[in-house]
Amino acid sequence: MGLTEDYSERGPDTRSGQAIAYLQENYRTYALIAPVALFLLAVVGYPILQTFRLSLYEAPASSSIKTFVGLQNYAQIFTSDIFYQLLWQTGRWIVVAVALKTILGLLIALHLKGNIKGRKFFRTAFLIPWGIPYAISAVVFRWIEHPQYGYLNSILLKLGLIHERIGILGSPDIAWLGVVVADVWIGMPFMAIIFLAGLQSIPEQLYEAAAVDGAEKWSQFRYITLPQLKDVLFIATLLSTIWTFVSFDVIWTMTGGGPVNTTATLVIWIYKTAFDQGNLGLGAAYSVIGFFILAVFAIIYLRVYTSGGEEL
Amino acid sequence: MTMAGHEPSTLRRVRIYGVLIGLLGLVMLPFYTMFASTLKPQSEIFSSPATLIPADPTIGAYLSVWTQTDVLIWVGNSFLISLGTVAIALVLAIPAAYACARNDFVGKRAFLLAVLVVQMFAPVVLIVGMFDVFVALNLYNSYLAVIIPAAAFTLPFNVWMLYGYFKTIPIELEESARIDGASMLQILTKIILPLTKPALVASVTYTFLYAWNRLLFVLTFLTEESKYNVPRGVFSMVGALQTDWRMMLTASVIGIIPLLILFAVLEEYIVSGMTAGAVKD
Repeated sequence: MGLTEDYSERGPDTRSGQAIAYLQENYRTYALIAPVALFLLAVVGYPILQTFRLSLYEAPASSSIKTFVGLQNYAQIFTSDIFYQLLWQTGRWIVVAVALKTILGLLIALHLKGNIKGRKFFRTAFLIPWGIPYAISAVVFRWIEHPQYGYLNSILLKLGLIHERIGILGSPDIAWLGVVVADVWIGMPFMAIIFLAGLQSIPEQLYEAAAVDGAEKWSQFRYITLPQLKDVLFIATLLSTIWTFVSFDVIWTMTGGGPVNTTATLVIWIYKTAFDQGNLGLGAAYSVIGFFILAVFAIIYLRVYTSGGEEL
Repeated sequence: MTMAGHEPSTLRRVRIYGVLIGLLGLVMLPFYTMFASTLKPQSEIFSSPATLIPADPTIGAYLSVWTQTDVLIWVGNSFLISLGTVAIALVLAIPAAYACARNDFVGKRAFLLAVLVVQMFAPVVLIVGMFDVFVALNLYNSYLAVIIPAAAFTLPFNVWMLYGYFKTIPIELEESARIDGASMLQILTKIILPLTKPALVASVTYTFLYAWNRLLFVLTFLTEESKYNVPRGVFSMVGALQTDWRMMLTASVIGIIPLLILFAVLEEYIVSGMTAGAVKD
């Protein structure tokens, strides 16, 4: 803390002299980090700048002619119905998917925690959905949910739960749930693994003491596990929220945002606007909005990550 | 010492394994449907309702998938993209992580936090700006347009992973080498990196998987079919009106086999990498 970086500024001679001496002494160190810094500035920083700039232009993807239009793209967004529909759909998508990932992940972790035979096998098996291409998971779920030939309909019919086939991904009411299932399947392993590591770092003595007091399983969970797991739970849920918010491959492969835009989230709309409709300027404006939402999450994450005055 | 609550009763054990196996079954179900479907002949694939167990299993799909799809090219491209990403990301990350672990300098904290923030800024939010920049740089339709952003977005993980690990290596180990006149590069490659194997493997695996699995960059920046990777190739088989499900699922199985091997061999490292950011000891 308290480091200032005004060395490049033109200060009194002694100051800049000091700065030059400092740089001469440490140039090797700066030479080692410079490639990463420059690479990220070029590949991430500059496109951010470019996105902000583009959002003020009318810029068709099909031509290189850009016309400055000021805040017109933003005005168009904030007065459109679709924007508010997107916010609602993005919100429900995040809330439902993250809640399910957290609960299922916790359930798996709690059962893997103890002295389990074959834990490595279970852990590997639970991990696989996270490690394969999202697009492949998406087509598999598309196949499972296929209205005519899918397994889901076949099973539900056999169990007598439905009497005629349902086309989940074609129905504006429930299509989003059909996509949520796939996203939860993909995102749950991360939560399980993080929670498992968190659970394993809880000192066993706490449970032993509770056992002496005759604490019930539920109160053990309520008064020992949950408080001890609080930080891990918070960070994992925050990361999962961010990743669910920017989840693109799954939705794009399963529905492309349809039917009638009911599975579209903000990031799907960025892509659709910019590359399907070829309106780079409007797509950039949507990106800037998404960017600010992510910035809020990033600030919270950094606060938590650097809390407690931890040295880096 | 107390015994209470330590040795779970048999009943409790049965319940725990019951829940685990039940959950595992649910998690494995999609894999089962994928694999079972590839063993069905075309006529059975398109039978309704779906047969839960292939009535007439055949490996025919695995014989014809090589000629009916470009899956071999996709796998080859995925390897190329993944290895290229690993190379760039690690060549950049190792020196930076080492510098941060071994030196205190003005701007170190800002640098490390800025790198961490990059992880928050998902590619999809930057894709419009990237598109504009890459087209201007003439990178459109080149593998580099996929490798460069993948390397950038895996850098946060790699820098932090390696930085954390380098810090745990005692400085005394390199001091004697330094006295003997070894250069920094020699110290890094001869002394430090061999000791960093767990973190290096975690970094390589994470980066490899990241690059292998992503659809977005290839979807946006590569238009030639001969450059498709596995996700893009599979996605291209989804038809507006008709989809050859049998071939698509078979190609999918083949496209994930390299990953399954990676998982079986390197699971420990993958787990240690995943938990590095969220669980502070």
